[in-house]
Amino acid sequence: MKILAITEQREGKWNKTSFETLAAAQQIAKDVGGTLAALVIGKSVAGLADELAGKNISEVLLVEHELLGAYTPDGYTLALKQAIAQTAPDLVVLPHTYEVRDFAPKLAASLGKGMIGDCISYRHENGRLIFVRQMFQGKTAADVSFAVAGPWFATFQAGAFRADLVAAHPSGKAAVRKIGVELKPEQIRTKPGDLFREAKQAVDLTQAPIIVAVGRGIKAPENIPLAERLAKAIGGEIAASRPICDEGWLPMERQIGSSGQTVAPKLYLALGISGAIQHVVGMKGSRTIVAINKDQNAPIFEVADYGIVADIFEIIPALTEELEKSKAS
Amino acid sequence: MDADVLIVGAGPAGLACALHLSQLIRKHNEAGGKPELSTENIYVLEKGREIGAHQLSGAIMDPVAMRELVPDFEKAPPFDTPVSSDAFYFFTGKRAWKSPVTPPPFHNHGNYIVSLNKLVKWMGGLVEKEGVNLFTQFAGANLIYENGGIAGVITEDKGVDKNGKPKDNYTPGYELRAKVTVLAEGPRGSLTKQLVIKYKLDGVNPQTYGIGIKELWEVPAGRIEPGWVAHSLGWPLPLDIYGGGWIYGLKDNRVSLGMVSALEYRDPLFDPHMAFQQYKTHPFVRRILEGGKMLRYGAKTVPYGGWYSRPQSSMSGGLIIGDSGSLLNSQRLKGIHTAIKSGMLAAESIFDALHAGDTSAEKLSAYPKKVESSWIKKELWAVRNFHQGFQHGFFRGMFSTAMQQISGGRGFVDPARANPGYEEYRKLNRGPELVDQSGRFKGDGSLTFDRLTDVFHSGTRHEEDQPCHLVVLEPDICGNRCVREYGNPCQYFCPAAVYEMVKEKDAARLKINASNCVHCKTCDIADPYQIINWIPPEGGGGPNYEGM
Repeated sequence: MKILAITEQREGKWNKTSFETLAAAQQIAKDVGGTLAALVIGKSVAGLADELAGKNISEVLLVEHELLGAYTPDGYTLALKQAIAQTAPDLVVLPHTYEVRDFAPKLAASLGKGMIGDCISYRHENGRLIFVRQMFQGKTAADVSFAVAGPWFATFQAGAFRADLVAAHPSGKAAVRKIGVELKPEQIRTKPGDLFREAKQAVDLTQAPIIVAVGRGIKAPENIPLAERLAKAIGGEIAASRPICDEGWLPMERQIGSSGQTVAPKLYLALGISGAIQHVVGMKGSRTIVAINKDQNAPIFEVADYGIVADIFEIIPALTEELEKSKAS
Repeated sequence: MDADVLIVGAGPAGLACALHLSQLIRKHNEAGGKPELSTENIYVLEKGREIGAHQLSGAIMDPVAMRELVPDFEKAPPFDTPVSSDAFYFFTGKRAWKSPVTPPPFHNHGNYIVSLNKLVKWMGGLVEKEGVNLFTQFAGANLIYENGGIAGVITEDKGVDKNGKPKDNYTPGYELRAKVTVLAEGPRGSLTKQLVIKYKLDGVNPQTYGIGIKELWEVPAGRIEPGWVAHSLGWPLPLDIYGGGWIYGLKDNRVSLGMVSALEYRDPLFDPHMAFQQYKTHPFVRRILEGGKMLRYGAKTVPYGGWYSRPQSSMSGGLIIGDSGSLLNSQRLKGIHTAIKSGMLAAESIFDALHAGDTSAEKLSAYPKKVESSWIKKELWAVRNFHQGFQHGFFRGMFSTAMQQISGGRGFVDPARANPGYEEYRKLNRGPELVDQSGRFKGDGSLTFDRLTDVFHSGTRHEEDQPCHLVVLEPDICGNRCVREYGNPCQYFCPAAVYEMVKEKDAARLKINASNCVHCKTCDIADPYQIINWIPPEGGGGPNYEGM
């Protein structure tokens, strides 16, 4: 059996799960008594191919093209289709990455072949390869095998195999074979933009010593900055009860209560929060609770150490101003 | 992966079906029957976090069906306590008039007070032991329609954010195909609703419903005997609302109490949650509860329609059982026994179909025929016109009930017609301003509670970052028409404070606090314009009715 492991790189750096898949492929090759080739695809990736050559494989396939500099589903599919046609593997294995999820089904479908995605292991039984994948969020594992002729496609879940178990080449280096592919710019229908990583504001409210939390009393999203300014002046984090996050006025990670975070800061300033039990369970452990609310019967006053029955729109600006003044002086 | 049988909903009906089918398969295989069948090919889907999590009822169970299903069940202890005494009251604002005789439908000697949550959990254990695959935290999102019937279910997508975009943990729904798909979703099942509309399966009458609201209390010792049962009519419900209260004494000084109100009242601003809270302030009830502690809260709808509201319940590859099939006895307000029995009858029909390798409409029509010739029919036939009599008030209802009693259930008109409850609302014809909510019932925090406090005690929880599972088909109606015509009754009938009208700039808009939802389905039923579509949220979301 001829096995082909397709690796993944971006801008000349490995996606580490490539080596997990390579480890899987080495094991399969050993179990079934097959040969293993590893493929690297991109633009100017000869260095990576050379690195792969040091592993226990029969050869490295190097697929390079000007148009493979950035990942595109069309470019990768067309190039890999040609590489597969030239090398005729029986089984193609890939890491189950976001990129692979994007192009591998397309690649398999364009060849009219099946793909088993997100496998966690495999078995070799009575000459048959059986792949195991999870269903129902891991509650059951399903055995799946291919019913038609190859090439077969299978992807492996991250962490399913150990990258550190990839065996080195027993006698030096495997040969690197260049696979020529033809690509025309008009075949690639997408144009990649710049790479970016979504900035994730990791806010851990449980570590904040001071929290300024707003509730429905804040009335409109335009008023949130008022509270934010107060939070800044007092050196605290801004947080909110559920209705505010529900409306998208503040991100969900700033929600306090039974469906959000549970906090116990030194000071909890509750602005316009009525004190429904759902909110209170998330903050009642705070050392000092100061509540400001127009409704003197609001249940928040039952847990507050200090309460102000007043309009928050009078108190917040005044409080902010005083704090800023004292900071400045 | 194809199943032999896919059961949607792990309640008493669905689990009885799975259990009885397993028993039949075991017997068949042990006798060397061919073809051999496997209980592993029976799948049960349940949207709750665990088996029983969404089960809510009073509940008094007539043990007749359970004795058939598990003959020695009375040795196992999933039941709280046998009924030791029952009484029937009529409440006025201050007094409780005890009926000198308990009306026959409320005779409960020989019945058990049960926690439906515990009962169903126990049944789940038996089913699991048989090797059936129980999948909790999965909901049926869509049916697979085929050959004029059904061929399985597509489960809900998981890991979708508020705006419908896939998150990191996105998993698309599974297409679960089965030879027979059994809908056992309880009242107003979301798949059953789709199916009944698509194939026009409605019975003689449309289904009518009530909403049951329940609290579980722990009270000071000596207040109530275990097994003590009281039902009441009257205050605080006005006489045009069909419904009443219940108080059951459980073991360990716990009390189950609640109130059922029919969802067919005239006043669009009637608040069933508040009515229940007022009920607890009646001297008769207060005496029992005062000084105690509310442990849990829940709400669930009850299908009242009875025999004439049964949808066509068999088709190619599909059956509808239990409450989804309108098999509750609305006079006795009992449906657990009929649900179990219908599950068993479905299991027998399915077993024959699997054995014959034929799951056509013709073959599966054995199920409704079995229902017809069972005691379910006998019991429901006698009260077939009961509930309809009450659609126009208490006294007319009592009168037609009397007539039915002496005519074997026939009454004046047979079948007596019913119309959907949402058509009963009186139009308010008011201005465009929202109904002021500042005076809404707040409760005293010890005997009575506001809705949010109660919701907290339902243990309901949902993944917050997911699309809203309460789909309002025409949101413009809320702020433009409904506010003028009915004053937005969704703010009143919902027992979980999900719906809220808010004023923004100059426009009124409906705000949906979907994560408060306790899955009672009242909104889907009671909305005057029928524009609220309840679809299952991501599996695992919803209440936690532990011990309820």
